[in-house]
Amino acid sequence: MLVGHVFQKAKLIRKSLFGECETMYKNLPDQEAAPEPGFRKERKLIGDRGNYFLNRMQGETGVNISACFQCERCTNACPVSHFMDTKPHQVIRYVQLGWREDLLNSSTIWVCLSCEMCTTYCPNEVGVAEIINHLRNMAAHSPITPKERNLAIFHQTFLEELQRFGRVNEFWLMKSYNLKPNILKEKIKTGMLKEELLLGLTLWRKGRLRLAHPRTKAIKEIKEVYRQKRGEIA
Amino acid sequence: MKLSYYPGCSLEGMASDYARSIDTVFKDLGIDLIEIEDWSCCGATAAHSLSEMMSVALPARNLAEAEKLGLDIVAPCARCFNSLRFSQQMIKRQLFDIPWQVAGEIQVHDMTRFLAEPSMIKLIKERIRKPLNGLKVVCYYGCQMVRPPKITGFTDYENPQTLDRIAAAIGAEVIDWSYKSTCCGASIGIARKEIGESLTRRILQKAQQTGAEAIVVSCPLCQSNLDIIQKNASGILTPVFYFTELIRLAFEENGSQKWFRQHITDPVGLLREKGLLN
Repeated sequence: MLVGHVFQKAKLIRKSLFGECETMYKNLPDQEAAPEPGFRKERKLIGDRGNYFLNRMQGETGVNISACFQCERCTNACPVSHFMDTKPHQVIRYVQLGWREDLLNSSTIWVCLSCEMCTTYCPNEVGVAEIINHLRNMAAHSPITPKERNLAIFHQTFLEELQRFGRVNEFWLMKSYNLKPNILKEKIKTGMLKEELLLGLTLWRKGRLRLAHPRTKAIKEIKEVYRQKRGEIA
Repeated sequence: MKLSYYPGCSLEGMASDYARSIDTVFKDLGIDLIEIEDWSCCGATAAHSLSEMMSVALPARNLAEAEKLGLDIVAPCARCFNSLRFSQQMIKRQLFDIPWQVAGEIQVHDMTRFLAEPSMIKLIKERIRKPLNGLKVVCYYGCQMVRPPKITGFTDYENPQTLDRIAAAIGAEVIDWSYKSTCCGASIGIARKEIGESLTRRILQKAQQTGAEAIVVSCPLCQSNLDIIQKNASGILTPVFYFTELIRLAFEENGSQKWFRQHITDPVGLLREKGLLN
């Protein structure tokens, strides 16, 4: 019996040493009870990531993230919080915990409208919208597939149009957006395309669509900025 | 009086009626608007979503062009105004390398705020020939014009007053409501239709509940969102006006139907009923 006890102890010590903490926690008795709905199944260790991500975010955005005391004012003010999988106040908590992947994989960062309600009403002046925006930047520059693909593609199309002409025209923007992979297919399936074409026709009849694309002469300079952004050398 | 004018992309396309009304109103007020030479897009939401550096660099080009003119900028579009202000603040902090020569010293005005100053209100009141008596309106500001207050400089961001003051000055009856600066969804409706529609529809419903007959806006995207959502609606229709369109209507004895040709929700019936249009 004593030998068995020693063996078990040794197993535990080995697991903790080799970083299998999560499996260790899973074997704890309180985890065996059925989790309440809404709780994440795998339990994450709090504070196992250190402050690296928090410090990085605070440094890059200039926002005092540690000032958040989870009053949920941001989530209550947010007009689209019910379309988000991670609510704005949770975003702040996740940043404090360093859960980077959860944030970059969330739909929150793409659904956010940047309407700045959260930032404006935060009692501690935490720039929630700025943080979500910075996370969106990070997600755009990472290999992670965006959860709201269409929204990401729309932003990308907008910038591509801007780079080509210097100005953006609604008609051409919609044309380029629809020609992106899978967008047209989706629209035909859901019957959105017909609706959109009819709307386009009405707008054109009313004289609201301009078919000729306006251009800026300084397009070269703008392209130069893009190259700098991507880190290319001209 | 001279000002440099940054119209923005929308005013060349979907909101060209806004651009035309701005031209006539400022001509009537005796203010010269000098369009910034060879302006380019401010980047809108897409630029700061995908690259914060672009959201500073793109408006900086327009600021540089305006500084050559040496005149204060006035921007009719809420998003353009916000990006210009944001870019200016970032330039002053010197956090980004910008390829253009910019000092960031020029004042950027929002068009509504510029026209709502006491001196301008007085000027507007002097020019009125036909006040819009009996027209009940609510003013809708949207988000980018008033928030974040640190960038836009609005101190009354919870209950902004600029459009209310202008609408009251031209004789309209302004109704107070609490959805003045709730977001209309902006361009999210293009990729996620249900989100955009739910937000816009709520604003429209609340506006109709107050008993308003029309909505006054200053943002091109808010106008098109609120206007287009009513295209198949039956029952009460609430036309959505740009504030300069109403000023123009008050400035001229005989308004023309053609000014409102671009509206999806036709306002001509309402205006005729009120005796504002022949």
